[in-house]
Amino acid sequence: MITNRRTFIKVLAGAAAATGARLDVAPALAQAAPVRIGVLAAKAGVTAPVGESGLRGTQFAVDRINAAGGIAGRKVELAVEEESNPKDTVERFRKLALQTKAEVITGGISTAVGLAVGPVSEELKALWLAWDATTQKGVEETIPKPRYAFRSVDNEAEAVMASILTARQLKGKVKTVAGINNDYSYGRDNWAAFLAIMKKFGMNVTPVVELWPKLGETNFTSHVAALQQAKPDLVFSSFWSGDAPILMKQAHAAGLTQGTKFVLTTAGGVHESMKKAFTPEGAIMGYNSLYFEAPNASPLLREFSKWHQERFKEWPNYESDHAYFTIVAYKAAVEKASKAAGGKWPTTEQTVEALEGIEVESLSGRRGYRSDHIMEASYYQGVTTHKNRHDFVTIDPVEVMSTKQIQKPSGTGLYDWINSWSV
Amino acid sequence: MSLRLAVAAALGALALFPLAGRDYYATLMLPFFGYGIALLGLNLLFGTTGLLSFGHALFVALGAYTAAFLTSKLGVLDLEVILMAAAVAGAVIALPTGLLCVRYVRIYFGMLTLAFGMLFYSFLLKFYAVTGGDEGMRVLRPRLLGLAWTSFSKVEFLTGPFYYYSLAVLVLGAVVMWRIVRSPFGLGLRAIRENAGKAEFTGVDVRRYRLSAFVVAAVFGAVGGALLPIPTGLADPLLAYWTHSGNLVFMLLLGGFGNFFGPVLGAFVFIVLQDQVMSITQYWRFVFGAILAVVVVFFPQGLTGLLDRRQRAGT
Amino acid sequence: MLGGVFHAAVLFLVAAGLQLVFGVQKILNLACGSFYALGAYAGVSAVSWALAAGAPPPIFPLVLVGAGLGLALVGPVIERLLRTIYDRDESFQLLLTFALVLMFEDVIRFVWGTAPHQLSSAYLVYGQLRVGGLVIPVYNLVVIAAGGAIAALMGFLLARTRFGRIVRATAENRGMAEAMGVDVSRVYVRVFTLGVALGTVGGALVIPATAAVNEMGIDLIVEAFAVVVIGGLGSMRGAVAGALIVGIMRAVAVATYPEVEMLAIYVVVIAVLVLRPAGLFAKAAA
Repeated sequence: MITNRRTFIKVLAGAAAATGARLDVAPALAQAAPVRIGVLAAKAGVTAPVGESGLRGTQFAVDRINAAGGIAGRKVELAVEEESNPKDTVERFRKLALQTKAEVITGGISTAVGLAVGPVSEELKALWLAWDATTQKGVEETIPKPRYAFRSVDNEAEAVMASILTARQLKGKVKTVAGINNDYSYGRDNWAAFLAIMKKFGMNVTPVVELWPKLGETNFTSHVAALQQAKPDLVFSSFWSGDAPILMKQAHAAGLTQGTKFVLTTAGGVHESMKKAFTPEGAIMGYNSLYFEAPNASPLLREFSKWHQERFKEWPNYESDHAYFTIVAYKAAVEKASKAAGGKWPTTEQTVEALEGIEVESLSGRRGYRSDHIMEASYYQGVTTHKNRHDFVTIDPVEVMSTKQIQKPSGTGLYDWINSWSV
Repeated sequence: MSLRLAVAAALGALALFPLAGRDYYATLMLPFFGYGIALLGLNLLFGTTGLLSFGHALFVALGAYTAAFLTSKLGVLDLEVILMAAAVAGAVIALPTGLLCVRYVRIYFGMLTLAFGMLFYSFLLKFYAVTGGDEGMRVLRPRLLGLAWTSFSKVEFLTGPFYYYSLAVLVLGAVVMWRIVRSPFGLGLRAIRENAGKAEFTGVDVRRYRLSAFVVAAVFGAVGGALLPIPTGLADPLLAYWTHSGNLVFMLLLGGFGNFFGPVLGAFVFIVLQDQVMSITQYWRFVFGAILAVVVVFFPQGLTGLLDRRQRAGT
Repeated sequence: MLGGVFHAAVLFLVAAGLQLVFGVQKILNLACGSFYALGAYAGVSAVSWALAAGAPPPIFPLVLVGAGLGLALVGPVIERLLRTIYDRDESFQLLLTFALVLMFEDVIRFVWGTAPHQLSSAYLVYGQLRVGGLVIPVYNLVVIAAGGAIAALMGFLLARTRFGRIVRATAENRGMAEAMGVDVSRVYVRVFTLGVALGTVGGALVIPATAAVNEMGIDLIVEAFAVVVIGGLGSMRGAVAGALIVGIMRAVAVATYPEVEMLAIYVVVIAVLVLRPAGLFAKAAA
């Protein structure tokens, strides 16, 4: 898609080069059929903003790839279907695989969808690169050794990093903790990981209240009241959608933000809504794999952030990075496998092999896939500050940890791994 | 009669469908069988007895989770056993809830069924230790007629043996429902729908008849629900949400609730429509809402009503 | 506890809209949640625009109410649509409002997108009150007061004014009212629009404390409907009582036994429907 002058010129230059300098290649290019990439993106409900974010990252990747000639000479065509409930999403996945004949399918955010789509991807031998949706427990039961399904980072990685930062910063300063997390696997796993790591670091904290509002809840007045009564030193929350700013707003209005430390593992996903007006300084906040103003941001990230801000009047969040990564990883794998296959377009199996262990440059830096089909990435978290030119909080300093440090290695259980740390 | 011809033609088309070679459409049809059975039940309740339930999804979800529980927790893989268990589960839950619900009619009946549906949804969501919560519960590939069909890949299984098995269950269910509707019992139900007071007068035990209709509807709902999650491999709580009940009623209305074949036609059209509309626009909910509105206002008898009218106009 | 009352105030507004429309037109409007959502989104847009245009912050509640009332203009349009099926079975009316729910969901998505919309600083413009160990935003009290005022206003409207008498007469016996010369269709339009306004204003008033998110209406419908059942279909006082019960029950459940937070409400609804189907303030019979 030609959306600005720069892309136009690139395309023009590319076309000129193709026609002028490489006449022998031009006919092949003209005949090469486009490669269809299917995308499952959430469009409605609480996951919709994340789905949209993923689509934007996808589009950015595809635009650049097509401007540079496509994947091994084939232009990329996107086929987008909606991710909704598991049953319907599985049907959409089958449609992309069987009807639309997508050569790879990316996307997938909600855990139930992830659990349903995984086995289907294996059954259909359809390559699936998920953006999110991984709960290790469930996935281990459904497809212990996936061939065609490539999954996201463990859902506890954020809690692991936030817990480590908490232990470093607040050792000895915190006696009581409270948890307010969404009542589903992501929330439960994050809270459990936090408590286990607090114990490992000898923090000696006691949980005084655990709250489990459902995902999509918009009224936390009762929950905030319960927190006020319990008077914890620290509140831990893995909220990642519209509920994060609402919680902070209502907590702040009830005076909770004075004197209580907040740890918000994933609120960076909605960082623009975390306004200075109600989000305190000194909170530990996580941005998953993309921090829009990383001090050592790559030119790629800066270009993306700028493009995103100009196009959508919003700063990007992590799902764009995961989505971008899946596209770019696929391209790199196909090209690597194609070379190994003597220039032919690789089979799905050959692409799978090339994907295992691959590393590419994504919006968040260099990242890749492990041989067990789990993503590797860098995660960004830090302490909130009001010293910036926005109306929302940012983090300073920015801590970066790789999934090699915060994600359990393949074959290990989370708690065994935590226990094995030397602190 | 042209009706028999139409039904035979439809059955023939359905039977030949997978052989036409389009795997995707064959798998798309699979929920149709489950929904068709569930809607036959809902039609008995609404079309024949006049009770609009906004909580039918409860029984569909119940059937789905029965299948999940039996296959993944108890290792019971025979589909015949699963379907029977779902039927029993449906009846067991329908008796007490039905006893409460059928005391009321119209709006109150609708509200009470909606409340029960949401109660079940909350239960499925909150008690994750038992139900798996938002992650749902796995449904393993069942054995059909004692055979595991292991030489078939999952897709071949779904578009082959499982497809025809589901078709057979739907036909069986339709035959049973046909008998029920044509029986004196069915006649009594229709009398109750027309005028409950008069029916009571003629010796029909209104309360008992309604309860029986409710239980039968629940059994059909659960059996249909047990077939539903097999292609997906997962039973999730959203199956019980009130909007899913709303969709069931939508399908029923679309097909035409006055007609025996209405629900099955409605399920078919809804599934095909949903697939087509979703590919055209992301605002498919709006389109569906508009379609429902148009049907409610202009074609309350649904598609079968339309066909009936045309037939009658033709003669 | 006070948080429960705040939630109850908003619930009351939506439920009152439901009650009014049901009491007079016998339609259970599932789209009441959609009006609530519309009011919320419109409220955010209106206040953001007003603040950007230089309006002083303290007047924002007026802007919110204004946005809510403005949006109520969709009332007559929707009523026109519902009018086509007034004489049909209730099930059809329910289904038509369900169709509206689906449509409004996408209308909202089309206009406002999928990201949450919120007002960041409006909530604390009036500051906070320190009572005992608790800190309460004054805005909560403003909303509770507004809820109470509207309840009183509705009561006055229905009991003391000519319009109210006509409405009650039409609700009681439509045929008789028509025979007495009442322009029933005009009454219906007005009542419906009033019902819509209650919903949109409720949504607008709650927005400073929370955020407008996709599908917020769908979740609220079930709660509003629980309020209406517990209080009694068609009764304004029932709406108040029901809202208080549901609001406070939720607050208590969250603090004591969170597991049953959602279940408790449905159990109570079922209990009321079984033991006292007409609700606490019996009005409309089954």
